[in-house]
Amino acid sequence: MSDTQVPAVDLDGITKRFGDVVANDGVDLSLEKGSVHALVGENGAGKTTLMSVLYGLYEPDGGTISVDGEPREFDSPRDAIDAGVGMIHQHFQLVDTMTVVQNVVLGHEPAERGLVDEGSARRDIEEICATYGFDVDEHLDTRVEDLGVGVQQRVEIVKSLYRGADVLVLDEPTAVLTPQEVEGLFDVMTELTERGRSLIFITHKLDEALAVADHITVLRDGESVGTVEASETTREELARMMVGRDVLFDYPARETSPGAVTLGVDDLRVEDDRGLEQVGGVDLEVREGEVFGVAGVDGNGQAELVEALTGLRSAESGTVTFDGRDVTDASRRERIDAGIAYVPEDRQEEGLVQDYDLVRNALLGNQTVAPYVENGFVDWGAVRTHAEDIVEQYDVQPPNAEAEAGSLSGGNQQKFVVGRELEHQPDLVVASHPTRGVDIGSIEFIHERLFEMRDAGMAVLLVSSKLDEVQKLSDRIAVMYEGEFVGMVDPDEVTEEELGLLMAGRSPDSGGASAEASADAPPESVVDDGESTSDGGVES
Amino acid sequence: MSGNGARAVLDRTADRMVHATAVERLAIAVASTLLALALGAVVVAASGYDAVEFVSSLAYGAFGSKSNVAFTLRQSTMLIIAGVAVAVAFRAGVFNIGVQGQFVVGGFATSVTILFLAPYLPTGTVGGVLLIVFGTIAAILAGGAYAALPGLMKAYADANEVITTIMLNFIASGVVFYLVDSQLRPSGAAAPNTEQFPDYVELPSLVFDSSSFSVVGLGVALATVIVVAVVMSRTRFGYDLVTSGYQESAAAYSGVDPKRTVVTTMTFSGMVAGLTGAMFAIMILGYYSDPATFPRFGFDAIAVSLLAANNPLGVVPAGILFGGLDAGGQYIGFTLDVPSELVDGVVGLVVLFVATPELFRMAGRRTGLGGDRK
Repeated sequence: MSDTQVPAVDLDGITKRFGDVVANDGVDLSLEKGSVHALVGENGAGKTTLMSVLYGLYEPDGGTISVDGEPREFDSPRDAIDAGVGMIHQHFQLVDTMTVVQNVVLGHEPAERGLVDEGSARRDIEEICATYGFDVDEHLDTRVEDLGVGVQQRVEIVKSLYRGADVLVLDEPTAVLTPQEVEGLFDVMTELTERGRSLIFITHKLDEALAVADHITVLRDGESVGTVEASETTREELARMMVGRDVLFDYPARETSPGAVTLGVDDLRVEDDRGLEQVGGVDLEVREGEVFGVAGVDGNGQAELVEALTGLRSAESGTVTFDGRDVTDASRRERIDAGIAYVPEDRQEEGLVQDYDLVRNALLGNQTVAPYVENGFVDWGAVRTHAEDIVEQYDVQPPNAEAEAGSLSGGNQQKFVVGRELEHQPDLVVASHPTRGVDIGSIEFIHERLFEMRDAGMAVLLVSSKLDEVQKLSDRIAVMYEGEFVGMVDPDEVTEEELGLLMAGRSPDSGGASAEASADAPPESVVDDGESTSDGGVES
Repeated sequence: MSGNGARAVLDRTADRMVHATAVERLAIAVASTLLALALGAVVVAASGYDAVEFVSSLAYGAFGSKSNVAFTLRQSTMLIIAGVAVAVAFRAGVFNIGVQGQFVVGGFATSVTILFLAPYLPTGTVGGVLLIVFGTIAAILAGGAYAALPGLMKAYADANEVITTIMLNFIASGVVFYLVDSQLRPSGAAAPNTEQFPDYVELPSLVFDSSSFSVVGLGVALATVIVVAVVMSRTRFGYDLVTSGYQESAAAYSGVDPKRTVVTTMTFSGMVAGLTGAMFAIMILGYYSDPATFPRFGFDAIAVSLLAANNPLGVVPAGILFGGLDAGGQYIGFTLDVPSELVDGVVGLVVLFVATPELFRMAGRRTGLGGDRK
């Protein structure tokens, strides 16, 4: 790779804004020909946005894209494909009921007198498979739905190659694969680069980036933290770059000490919709006047845990107690009425009805609360007043209760949701990623409200993958990995590296120890809570 | 750039569509009806028939005489109630295609109730009113119960309600036919009909002096519309139901039990469908018969509801339009030598044109509300 001065792809100062939120802020990335360039960062760091800009899905607000040294502007994926840039999405873009051949040629059918020339397509695909040593040609006439996930992924790759892609963007390709399939994918990636293709590999798993990439660019909060040579960096350095601390303003120290236990969880097990166990025996306690943080990379069971606590998903086993009452089998409605407020992770889908104005959204979750509803009848006047109060107190812009929820920016939507949930003096607030996709000003605002709740003696359970947020807000932090709490740490003593490694399923001490081992035996070195064994905060 | 231009146009048109007022939309509906009739006239003429006679007969059949108006309103009454039944379910995102079956079962419950209770109640007006009230209640209960079945199957056995409700339409028809034919047919009678209801069991035929239409029936339809509209917009039940239709995950988040909502929605929808059956048995038939011979109000109601954007209030004009087309179409069938397929085709054209309001709202706006300019 000595004579590759011209990068295959050069992104220069890419900036992309969504409303108030800056998803990419002047990001540079230079992809060397014939290499694998990993793009790592937390969820929401802007990885996928950056690649969507490259693939023509989003138009950048600033910066330039060059392919093979030529500046390009992509209006659509079609332009990107024509320029030789292909993308393998996390969710495959395949038609399940069509065969492999049909999928590969879809939209680019070789035609002869208006008829699809399947023979020539077949030969081309076989040639691609032969060149790269893929097994896809064994399945040419199999319907995609009958193929395993790993093979489907290779079909996607063949599809891109068939369309003449020299640069392939793989968006979290390992997320859907088993460990064996990941190995297979890495072999494929090596094969591709040896034949001169260039790859951008999106992941948030540091080991994968180190294993397969030549260069690694770290994104954080939409900005590039830096690019390093994979051979010259360490997992620790990457972890620090990935989770590094934002300069948030200092919050006042707590004035009260935690009181009685509000939420108790004992050996909770929860399955996802597919029947796979996502929460595998979690114990925790959240006390009055305390913020209990759950840190972890997304997809390690936090969503299922939160749903089980808020009544949106039933637990397989274990118990949940709230104010001393067993609420394990209580419905969502009963839990709302008992005083559990919930700021959901997904305000677009759950927290708000997009087509409703804020008045009608103010009733969401309050359908049993007087004076908004009495004897089954809604008093819209009272609801309107409530909505206007939230808009005013939580500084929702525009200050118009009749604005449709879908027309508000993410930060303002979130402020409205937070306002609605906190206005009822709940005993417990479950806040799931409360500042995801929210602008800086609103983040500060929401953090302050959560502190107020804590100081007013409410229990707060905070789930976030933003380490700075968890550390700043929490009195205790549990790190969740593969459905279990693998560590219980004191936010004032733990370092970001330690947290980052715990989140990656690794004990900071043993470095190379397998994830499974550390999940079974929480690393004692970072357990520094003093009372963690007695209050059941840590599974032991 | 052309991409940006297209996007901007799309933005603007979407904006316009959203902000079309009720008056504008009504104007567009009328314009599209006229346009469809004009187009239909061309088709009729091209097929070798007299287009002028066709259109004028359609209009005469719909509202050309007092009895024709009565017939239009009779059909409209049925379509409005059934349309509201569909709208309730569709609003909640539950596709009740079984209104026809619930209507058949409801009417049957009315008939059985009236025929069995009549001997125990006084004759005359008092008995008539009581029988009508009991018969109607029976229809509402039976329709609700029959609709609750697919609701339960959807909620607890994950059975697609579109399929189950369609199947239950056939089952309703078959079972009711069997019961009428084998159990309720007076001995010696040839037709599979029940006995006639006592002649004091009828709605007063005010104004129109028709044996199968009563203003009271239309009043029941309008009252149903108002009750349902109030339930949907002003009660917790309605809020839960509509929220489930807009965004099921948000409804679940707010404490609405999705399974229960499916069942209650279907039951509520079926109760209204059952009321359609009561009106059909009492106001129109005066006995009960083989459901296979009944008009397909439950299916036409789907189009009525969609035309009304599943808004209970919008069902009234939509139901009247459909009632008028139905009456006019039937009149043509009786009087002109035009194939019924052609009549159905032209009626379908009108429905198609009116049911694409988005298209017409867009076009209407662009040409200055289709009237200012030609």
